[in-house]
Amino acid sequence: MSIRLRLAVCGLILLSNMPLLADPPAFSKEDLAYFERKIRPLLSARCYSCHSKDAKILHGELRVDSSAGLIQGGESGPLLVPGKPEESLLISAIQYQDGLDMPPKGKLPDAEIAELVAWVKRGAPMPPVNEQLAQPAKQIDFEAARQFWSFQPVQEHSQPEVQLADWPTQRIDYFILSAMEREGLSPAVPADRDILIRRLTFDLTGLPPTPEEVQAFVANDSPDAYQELVERLLAAPQYGEKWGRMWLDLVRYTDFTASWLEQPGEPYFYRDWVIKAFNDDIPYDEFVHRQLATDLMAETGPEDLPALGLISLSPTYWKELKLPSEIIKVIVADEWEERIAAVSETFLGLTVACARCHDHKFDPISSEDYYALAGVFASTRSIGRPMIPEKEYAPARAAIAEVAKLEQEVKKLNAAIAKRQKEAKEAAKKAEEAEQESPDAGTTAATAEAADEAMTDLKQQVATLTSRITELKATPHFDAPLASAVSEESVAVERAGKSPQDGTRLAYHDGPQDLPLFSRGDPNRPGEVVPRRFLTVLSPEPKPFTQGSGRLELARAMTSDAAPLAARVIVNRIWHGHFGRGLVNTPSDFGAQGDLPTHPELLDDLAARFMANGWSIKWLHREILLSATWQQSSQPSAEALSIDPANLWLSHMNRRRLDFEPWRDAMLSASGVLDLTLGGRSSNLDQPGNHRRTLYGSIHRHEMSTTLLMHDFPDPNQHSPKRSQTITALQGLFLLNGPLLAEQAKNLVARLEREFPGQTEEQVDRAYWLLLSRQPTEQERALALGFVGETSGEDRLSRWQQYAQVLLATNEFLYLD
Amino acid sequence: MFTDHSHNRRHLLKLGGGIGMLGLAQLLSAEETGPAPSALTYGPHFAPKAKRVIHLFMNGGPFQGDLFDPKPALEKYAGERPEGADLVTERPTGGLLPSPFKFQPRGESGVPVSELLPQLGQCIDDICVLRSMHADNPNHGPALLQMNNGTIVPTRPSMGAWFLYGLGTENPDLPGYVVLCPGRPVRFSILWNSAFLPSSFQGTYINHSKIDPATMIPHLTNSTWDAQTQRRQLDLLQQLNSVHLETRTETSSLDARSQAIETAYRMQFRGSEAFDVNRETKATREAYGTGHFANGCLLARRLVERGVRFVQVYYGNGQPWDTHSKHNETVPNLCKDIDRPIAALLTDLKQRGLLEDTLVVWGGEFGRTPTSENGNGRDHNHHGFTMWLAGGGVKGGMTYGETDEFGFKATVNKVHVHDLHATILHLLGLDHEQLTFRHAGRDYRLTDVYGQVVHEIIA
Repeated sequence: MSIRLRLAVCGLILLSNMPLLADPPAFSKEDLAYFERKIRPLLSARCYSCHSKDAKILHGELRVDSSAGLIQGGESGPLLVPGKPEESLLISAIQYQDGLDMPPKGKLPDAEIAELVAWVKRGAPMPPVNEQLAQPAKQIDFEAARQFWSFQPVQEHSQPEVQLADWPTQRIDYFILSAMEREGLSPAVPADRDILIRRLTFDLTGLPPTPEEVQAFVANDSPDAYQELVERLLAAPQYGEKWGRMWLDLVRYTDFTASWLEQPGEPYFYRDWVIKAFNDDIPYDEFVHRQLATDLMAETGPEDLPALGLISLSPTYWKELKLPSEIIKVIVADEWEERIAAVSETFLGLTVACARCHDHKFDPISSEDYYALAGVFASTRSIGRPMIPEKEYAPARAAIAEVAKLEQEVKKLNAAIAKRQKEAKEAAKKAEEAEQESPDAGTTAATAEAADEAMTDLKQQVATLTSRITELKATPHFDAPLASAVSEESVAVERAGKSPQDGTRLAYHDGPQDLPLFSRGDPNRPGEVVPRRFLTVLSPEPKPFTQGSGRLELARAMTSDAAPLAARVIVNRIWHGHFGRGLVNTPSDFGAQGDLPTHPELLDDLAARFMANGWSIKWLHREILLSATWQQSSQPSAEALSIDPANLWLSHMNRRRLDFEPWRDAMLSASGVLDLTLGGRSSNLDQPGNHRRTLYGSIHRHEMSTTLLMHDFPDPNQHSPKRSQTITALQGLFLLNGPLLAEQAKNLVARLEREFPGQTEEQVDRAYWLLLSRQPTEQERALALGFVGETSGEDRLSRWQQYAQVLLATNEFLYLD
Repeated sequence: MFTDHSHNRRHLLKLGGGIGMLGLAQLLSAEETGPAPSALTYGPHFAPKAKRVIHLFMNGGPFQGDLFDPKPALEKYAGERPEGADLVTERPTGGLLPSPFKFQPRGESGVPVSELLPQLGQCIDDICVLRSMHADNPNHGPALLQMNNGTIVPTRPSMGAWFLYGLGTENPDLPGYVVLCPGRPVRFSILWNSAFLPSSFQGTYINHSKIDPATMIPHLTNSTWDAQTQRRQLDLLQQLNSVHLETRTETSSLDARSQAIETAYRMQFRGSEAFDVNRETKATREAYGTGHFANGCLLARRLVERGVRFVQVYYGNGQPWDTHSKHNETVPNLCKDIDRPIAALLTDLKQRGLLEDTLVVWGGEFGRTPTSENGNGRDHNHHGFTMWLAGGGVKGGMTYGETDEFGFKATVNKVHVHDLHATILHLLGLDHEQLTFRHAGRDYRLTDVYGQVVHEIIA
C-alpha cells in the first residue's frame, strides 16, 4: 500500500473519531421531558441562530443544539456547572453580568431567564450525548421543498384591480400599477416619441434608429405606428444579433481558447445558430432541446449540429497525462461540474454544482441529484462534427484520421533524415580531417555509400507517404467545416501503466455511463452508483434516463417536469433585458439564496401565458414592449425617488447604460461605416478598419481583448447572468486616447462633410440627429459653433474631429433614457 | 448619512464643476503644486494613524506553518492524524505534513521567521504577525470576496471602495484605489467593485506585467491632440454633460463618469510619471529586485507616495499560492519572488518617512492545511492562518494570537476577517460601526454586524 493510500485510510478512520466527552448522568424521564418541553424550545428560539449546527456562522465555537455542545461549551469555556447557576457561564451571560451579554441583541424576558436558572439548578438535565450524536444526518424533505415558490406550477392570475383604470394597455400594466398604488406611487408620463423609438430600436436591435426613422415615427400619428415599429424591428435580422448576444453571455461563448487546450470544430457556427434561432423565434422549449441534444432528435438533421456548441464549447482544463490518474480524475470531474453549473444556472436558475461535495446547503438538491446529472455529461464527448450526414462524411473522417497518422510518420522520417544528414556532414568533416592526416581512407568512403543508400530509401518512403496523403486529401468532404458538437461517448480516466507513476490514459467508450457518488466531491472516493436522471425536487417521480447519455431526456425534463421554473427563468431574463433589472434580481438563482420576485403574480402570469403562447420569445417581447410600463418616461418623480429609489415598483423607466456592443455599433452606425454582414468568422476588434458589429469581435477565453475587458464584457470562462457596470479612469483614457473614438470621429466628420459640405450649422444638427436622435438645443448649437469657431481648411477639420470625439464621449450617447 | 439617491451628488457636482471651470493654466499648476481639492466624502471619525494602505495579496492562500507560525508538533506526528485532533477540511487530506523549512528568531524582538524569507526577517521589528486569522469559507471565490468585500455575497462594495467612501482621495490626478495584478485574480473585478457605493469609488485594475507605463496603462497618451486641445475638449464635454444632467435626477453614475474622464485626463500627465518604475534610481531598482511582484511593490510605493489611498498588489495571475500538489517544491520559489521586494518596500517606506502612516497588509484569502493533500500538497484552510500588518500605527516585532498545536485552527485571540477590517478602518480613523451606507432600506457596513478592533496591536 502506498504511503498516500495509507494516509488516506488512516484519515478515514480518524474522521469518525470525536473528542471524548463526559456523558451527563442519566436523568429521569420527567427530567428529559422537562428539557424537551421547556428548555430546548427556548434554546432553539433564542440561541440556535448563532449557536447551532445550522447557524450561518457559528459564534464563539459554541453549539447549544446538542448535549455534547452544551457540556463542552465554547471559546469562553464550559457553559454549565450543573446545580450551580451562579457559577454557570450560561446564566451570567444571559443575566448580562460580566461582559459576555447574551443574546447580544437584548436581554431575555425575566421569565425565560428564570426558567434557565431553574434548569441549571435542577442539574441541567439533557438527553445522553450518544443518542444525540447518533441522530441521522438531515435528509432533504423533497415533498416540503416542492412548495418553494419557484418550483410551484405557474398559473394565470386574475387581473388586479387598479384605480388609474385608463393607464394600462397590457395585462402586465395591471400588475405593475396595482403594486405601485399599493406602495403609494403613480406612473410616470409616457416617454416622448423620439426617446421611445431610440429606446426601442436599441432594445431590439442594439443599434440607434436613423434620423429618418425617428422623424417619420414622430410625425406618424396613426394609432398603430408604435406596434408596427415593434413588428418591423422584431423582424430585422439585427434583432437576433442583439438578443443572441444576451444568450452568449449565459453560455460563456468563446471563439478561441488557450492554445494548449483542445477546441473541436468552429465555434462561430454556434454563435450564428443562436442568432438565427432568435430571428426564427424557435419555441424556447425546442431551443433548449436542440442545444442539448439536437443530434438525438428525429426532427433535426446534421445541419443543426452547431446547436450543440453550448456543451461542446464548455471550458476545458489541461490534463497532464504524465500525472497519476487520481489527479486527472479530479480535473475531469471539475469539467463535469462546470457543465452542470452552466446548464443548471442557464436553464433552471439553480446552482446545482454546489451539491458536488455534499447536499446543497440551501436548496433541495442532493449529492445524488448532482451525480445523476454528472453522468449525462460523463457520457458526452466534445468533438467536431460535419454538418452533413455521417454516412456521406465517413470516408472523409477515415481519411482525416489516416492523414494524421501518416503525417506523424512523415515527421518521424524527416527527423531521421535530418539526423542522418547531420551525421553525414560530421562524418564527412571528420573524413576530411582524417584524410589530411592519413591519405589512406577507403573505409570511410564505403560507409558514406551505405549511408547514401539508407538515405535514398528514407526519402523514397517520405515521397510515397506524401503522395498517399495528397490522395487522401482529395476524399470528398475532406475539408468540410466542422461544427463544435458532441458525440455519445463516455470518458474513462485510466492508469496508463501499472503504477500511478506511469501516468494516465483517457479512454472513450461508446455508450453511456452512470457515475458513483463521489464522497466529498472526490472522484477517488467513489460511493454508490447513481443512475442518470433528472433532479428529484423537479420530478414527480424521477426515472432513470434510458436513451443514450440522457441529454435529450434531460432537455425534455427541463421543459416539461421543470417547465414552470424554466419558463420563469427565461421570462425573467427577457424582462431583465428590457428593464435593466429582473423581476427576480438574481436571474440565475431562483433558489433559497436568490431574491424573491418583486411581482410574483406577474411573473407567474407571464410565464404561464408564455408557455400557452408556444414558448415564443417574440410574443414575450411584444407583451413587454407594448405595455404602458415599458413606455414610461425615465424621469422619476420626487415621490418615486424618496419612496422607491431603486425603482423596484417601476413607477418610471430605468435609465440604462448601453453595453459595449451597442455603444460601439452606434458609433459605427452614426459615422456611416457599420458593416451589417450577418454571421461568419470573428475578427479582431482592435484591427483598424474593422467595421463589423461588435458581437463578431474575437472572444478569447484565455487572453481577453483589453478593450472588451475594460468595458465589462463578461468573462467567457463562466456563465454570466448579468453584466457589471464599472466606471473607471481607464475607460476615461479610452475615450480620450483610444483609437475607436478617434477613428469614428474622423469617419463621422467625413460623412458630415460629404452630406453638408462646409455648412457648419447643418453639420451640427446632423451630428445630433445621427448620434442622439434629436435636434440640438440653441445652447448646444452655440457651444458647438463656439468650439469649432471661425476656422477653415485643416484647422477646421481637426476642430471638427475634436468636436465629434466629444459628442461620442458624452453621457447622453452612452445612457438610454 | 448618505442614501442611494442623494449621496454626495452635490459634492461631486462641486468637484466636477470646479475642475471643468478651471483653465488649463490653473490645472497644470495644480499639477505641480500637489494636492488638489480633496474628495473627502465622509471624513475620519477620529485622528487616523494610517493614511494609506498597501495590501500585498498572496492569492491562492499561503501556508502559515512554512512562514510565520512554526509548529514543531508536526514533526512528532508526521504522517499521522492524532486521535481527537480536528483537522477536517472540504477535501480529503491525509496525515500531518511537517514543514521542511526552518525558523529563526529574527530582529531584536526575536519573532521567528522562516528561512524562506531571510530578507523580510530583517524587517520583523516593524511587523505585527497575526497568527490567529480565520475566515468563513474554504473556497477561493467566497474567501476572496470575504477578504476584499467583507462578505461572500458578490454584491457588496470592496474594502477599497469603503476606504474611498470614508476618506476620499488625496490626489485627483490618479485613481484613489489601484489594483495591480500581472494577470487576473479569480473573481476578478468583483473584488474591487463599488456595488451600491458611488461608482467612482471602485478600484482601477491595472495589469502591470509590462512595466512601460504606456503599455501597462492602455491609451495613456495621445499622439494627435496636445494637452491644451484635450482640455478644451473636456471643458466642452463637461458642459454638454452638465446640460444633460440638469434635466435628470438620480445621477450617480453620470457624475462618476464625468469624474472618471477628468481623472483620466490628469493621469495622462501624472500617470506616466507615477507608474514608471524606471524613474527610480538604480540602487532602488536593485533593492526591490526583478519580477512582476517586485515591480508591483515598487509601483505601490510610488503610488502611495503620490496620495493614492489604497493599492493592492496581487502576487500573480489566477491563484499561484494554491499549492494542492508539490507544495514544498513550489513554496520556495514563491517566497523568493516576494522576500526581497517586500523587505525593500518596508525599508523604502521607512526611509522616506512613509511607513509610519502607511499600513502594509500581507496575506492570502486563507491559509493551508497542516495535513497533506495527495501526499505532497496542502488543502485550503480558513480555520486558522497568518496575515501580518506593518506600519500605519501598528506595533512591530510582535505576534498576536495562536493556532492549535498543528497550526490548523485559530485558538487564542482569534482574529476574524471582520476584525481585521474593523482594525484597518480604525487605523484609518474610521469607526467600522459608524461607516454606514443606506441601501435598499438598510444601513450597510464593511463589517456587516460583526467585527472587533484588535486594540492590542495598535501602537
